[in-house]
Amino acid sequence: MPGISPQTQQAISERWRAAIIQTYPGLTAEFLRQEKDPFRNPVGAALREGIPCLVAELFGAMDPGKVSQALEGIVRIRAIQDFSPKQAVGFVFELRDILRDVLRAPEAPLGELHKRIDEMALVAFDVFMRCREQVYEVRLSEARRAEGFRKRMVSRDAGG
Amino acid sequence: MSVFSSLILVLVFAALAYAGGLAGSSRWFMGVILPYTAILVFLGGLSYRVLRWAKSPVPFHIPTTCGQQKSLPWLKWSWLENPQSKGGVLLRMALEVLLFRSLFRNSRAQFLDGPRLRYGEEKFLWLSALAFHWSLLIILIRHLRFFVSPVPRFVMGLEAVDGFFQVSAPQLLVTDVVILAALLFLLQRRLRNPQVRYISLFTDYFALFLLLGIAFSGVLMRYFFRVDLERVKEVALGLVTFSPTVPAGVGPLFFVHLTLVSLLLIYFPFSKLVHMGGIFLSPTRNLANDSRVKRHVNPWDYPVKVHTYAEWEEEFHDKIKAAGLPLERE
Amino acid sequence: MSEALPKHEELVQIRYDVPRNGWRSAHVDFRKGTYSYSAAPKNVQYLGMANPRHWRPTDKDWKLPPDWKQIILRGMKERLEKFRSFRLFMDICVRCGACADKCHFYLGSADPKNMPVLRAELVRSVYRRYFTASGRLFRGLAGGRELTEDVLKEWFYYFYQCTECRRCSVFCPFGIDTAEVTMIVRELLNLVGVNTNWVLEPAANCFRTGNHLGVQPHGFKDSIDFAVDELEELTGIRVEAPINKKGAEILFVVPSADYFATPHYYTLLGYLALFHEIGLDYTFSAYASEGGNFGLFNSHELMKRLNNKIYAEAKRLGVKWILGGECGHMWRVLHQYMDTMNGPADFLEEPVSPVTGTRFENARSTKMVHICELTADLIHNGKLKLDPSHNDHWRVTFHDSCNPARGMGLLEEPRYILRNVVNHFFEMPENTIREQTFCCGSGAGLGTDENIEMRLRGGLPRANAVKYVRDKHGVNLLTCICAIDKATLPTLLEYWTPGVEVGGVHELVANALVMKGEKDRTTDLRGEPFPAKEAAVHA
Ligand code: HEM
Ligand code: SF4
Ligand code: SF4
Repeated sequence: MPGISPQTQQAISERWRAAIIQTYPGLTAEFLRQEKDPFRNPVGAALREGIPCLVAELFGAMDPGKVSQALEGIVRIRAIQDFSPKQAVGFVFELRDILRDVLRAPEAPLGELHKRIDEMALVAFDVFMRCREQVYEVRLSEARRAEGFRKRMVSRDAGG
Repeated sequence: MSVFSSLILVLVFAALAYAGGLAGSSRWFMGVILPYTAILVFLGGLSYRVLRWAKSPVPFHIPTTCGQQKSLPWLKWSWLENPQSKGGVLLRMALEVLLFRSLFRNSRAQFLDGPRLRYGEEKFLWLSALAFHWSLLIILIRHLRFFVSPVPRFVMGLEAVDGFFQVSAPQLLVTDVVILAALLFLLQRRLRNPQVRYISLFTDYFALFLLLGIAFSGVLMRYFFRVDLERVKEVALGLVTFSPTVPAGVGPLFFVHLTLVSLLLIYFPFSKLVHMGGIFLSPTRNLANDSRVKRHVNPWDYPVKVHTYAEWEEEFHDKIKAAGLPLERE
Repeated sequence: MSEALPKHEELVQIRYDVPRNGWRSAHVDFRKGTYSYSAAPKNVQYLGMANPRHWRPTDKDWKLPPDWKQIILRGMKERLEKFRSFRLFMDICVRCGACADKCHFYLGSADPKNMPVLRAELVRSVYRRYFTASGRLFRGLAGGRELTEDVLKEWFYYFYQCTECRRCSVFCPFGIDTAEVTMIVRELLNLVGVNTNWVLEPAANCFRTGNHLGVQPHGFKDSIDFAVDELEELTGIRVEAPINKKGAEILFVVPSADYFATPHYYTLLGYLALFHEIGLDYTFSAYASEGGNFGLFNSHELMKRLNNKIYAEAKRLGVKWILGGECGHMWRVLHQYMDTMNGPADFLEEPVSPVTGTRFENARSTKMVHICELTADLIHNGKLKLDPSHNDHWRVTFHDSCNPARGMGLLEEPRYILRNVVNHFFEMPENTIREQTFCCGSGAGLGTDENIEMRLRGGLPRANAVKYVRDKHGVNLLTCICAIDKATLPTLLEYWTPGVEVGGVHELVANALVMKGEKDRTTDLRGEPFPAKEAAVHA
């Protein structure tokens, strides 16, 4: 996918980030956008880190490892916030409109890009499912830990 | 919505006062009755609020500690952020009151990313809050020259310092510029910072507009539409010596100013503006962190139902015995 | 592809809308994973509290008493008269917003009602409506709000999304402490029987058996004995761990999770090893077998009821002073409330370290010393033989728990200890530690299983800082001095920053401790081989 300048990529990233941020309540969106200190604004920081990566991959090699890692940072947070699954991963499709706007290209040449977007969406969904499962797993391991030592005692006593 | 309605409300008050000042008919009301009422309401209301706070006791010892406690003598103790003595508390309070220490605390982390650094708005909040309050204080003190005759030395001195930038014919006073700028900054912050806008109420805007109105009318009087200062002084002295007069020809703008000030005084005790008194009483700041050193007494402490050792031993008697633990009653 | 693009500035023009209708409509959707279950009637009953019944937050009808509104308003009036903090905090907030982005729940959930100022406004609006002249007169214009059932539900939702961590209070120019407001509102909710099981069940257990977990005396003894056995296996030394021993010098009180849950348990082993080494004359108590106090998360009265047994037991056993283990909210109560509620402790003596002779003057009246104070003093006086290389498999950071940090100021003692017992210690970023520490997101009775999503949200800012030191310094152990942290941070970190474990300070102390007469120790308290020994074996 040659010929996409860094500036354009950056513009796409920023628009996309803005679109995602707008899925949060208005005033929070502004905060997420503005606050640059990653420790005061972990959600915003995750976006700021992940989005440019994804855009680079979109126009680059689509390295599965990198894509899923970048999505991970974003989706992991959305998976436990007040979003339905559709809202949690739907942000990937925002890319379509943004590309159309920014690249000002007719539909056809975007074909390959759209395929990549779909791929990303699938990966995002994968990550989402993995995170949801993990929410249940961590609950289980917490329960185990809470009982952990007691169980060991019981098994010692049972074993004589 | 509340922005506009509060602005309009202040403007209506100002317009009424202006009209009244022009007509001359209600000057007695605005020049004497309203100010006296305002002072009474202010003093009465504020004391009532403060007394009511003071009447509620501080049952528990709950300072917020913002630094290392005083424990082992060789550990560096943060005597200001975590005071253990009266002196430390006084200093901590003084810094809060005079410098808004906590508001300053918003330290930025050094790990900013991206090329464009955004300096913390909170530092601006701190700065503008400080600028506003200090200018207000200095302006209030400067006003003494109207109420006291002869004008005390320190008031003159203060004015001289304030007028340090002597650029215009009526000497330009720094605080006049600063208070307007600070108030405007606070207002735009309330409107532009989404979080602050979300939490702002009608009353928050009203207070700001009222103060802006006062400052603005004052500035107009001083620099643009001069009022007769001798007459103003007559009014002011008349008020403090309980021989009120309202000479003709003071100028309607003065009545706008005076009326808005009176309204502020009346509004004061019913609003958040009482934070002035409250800060001195705040139990998270004005207590020393000495709750393990000295016992704090709760005046309304009452006995509660507890599960005594005896009851506990009785309930678990056999199990305690089986476990080989000592019993009080075999 | 065309590169004739609009200008950069133009591209990133974005409009943000602030919700128009503001925050005053009160309606919450109770979504699974974001709230805690209501208290079971038996627990409410056992504690003799109001309105025991079956209900669920998702029910439309919460089965409130018919005069619930009067009850709440009466309760508010009473508390306004009894707590200056409450009255003052209702009055003096200027809505400057300095606290807005300081709450971990706001940062993690992006829900505006989690801004501390707005959390407090949820009650403040009701206060204005019913208790101030302007509010009674001008209602909404003066920022007042009617008390309706929806408002009550909203209170339940958001005041159980505050961990009473006091971070907001640090930044407020007036010191307004939303934790204090939360405590009062939870009291109010209790008056009409709105409470959570995760708070009331531990409280009921604690009232009855002496500890939150409901472990009975023989179970307690078993646990301690088991720990003694395990420690013997690990070190070859059989330590003594007396229980209910009259005439001991010191009563030792720990949070019950220490003798029940992992990884707390390793800290318990740590205490036992340390006390043996310095020959401390102490005793546990099966009656006061809990230092933690879930009453703190319910009401001042319940706090006092649960706290009572510590002094009572100290008196019965005739000890000289009391030592407290690693626990956050336990220490909030011990440090700021115990003496007032259940003192004066005039039957005890001013604490003196039996090993170093140091007088703990900072505990002169309450007569209760934090174990980190004791240990730091031991190390400073060179009373412990330590080999920090035993902890070389750990790259350690320290998480300040909210209560010791902002309700006490115990910041340097644990750091001093850690620097002496580990070789690799790294601080998290400055604005996430010490008095600015981020909460685990599970304190104040929120640490329940069903509330997991909310906890993960609240824990994000903390985890985010952990991630930073993990990625930058390879940190693999987060230490803390709080039982709730030890119970819930492993969960959070497993989700947010896998690869970082959680441990206690005294676990690491005992790892490093070279005990007199110990066998050739090859593993740490978790049974992991010591790094040096391991290397030797490989060589
Ligand atoms: C001991 C005296 C006082 C102290 C320590 C104090 C402190 C503060 C602080 C720390 C703030 C928050 C920062 C801000 O929003 O600007 C504030 C706000 C404010 N203060 Fe004061 N204050 C005092 C007296 C007064 C007085 C006498 C007035 C006069 C009417 C006043 C009017 C205000 C107003 C209007 C605001 C809100 C500003 C806004 O809306 O952004 N204060 N004050
Ligand atoms: S920082 Fe204090 S005064 Fe400012 S909005 Fe928050 S609670 Fe109110
Ligand atoms: S006390 Fe902590 S949890 Fe509660 S509002 Fe303040 S910052 Fe948030």
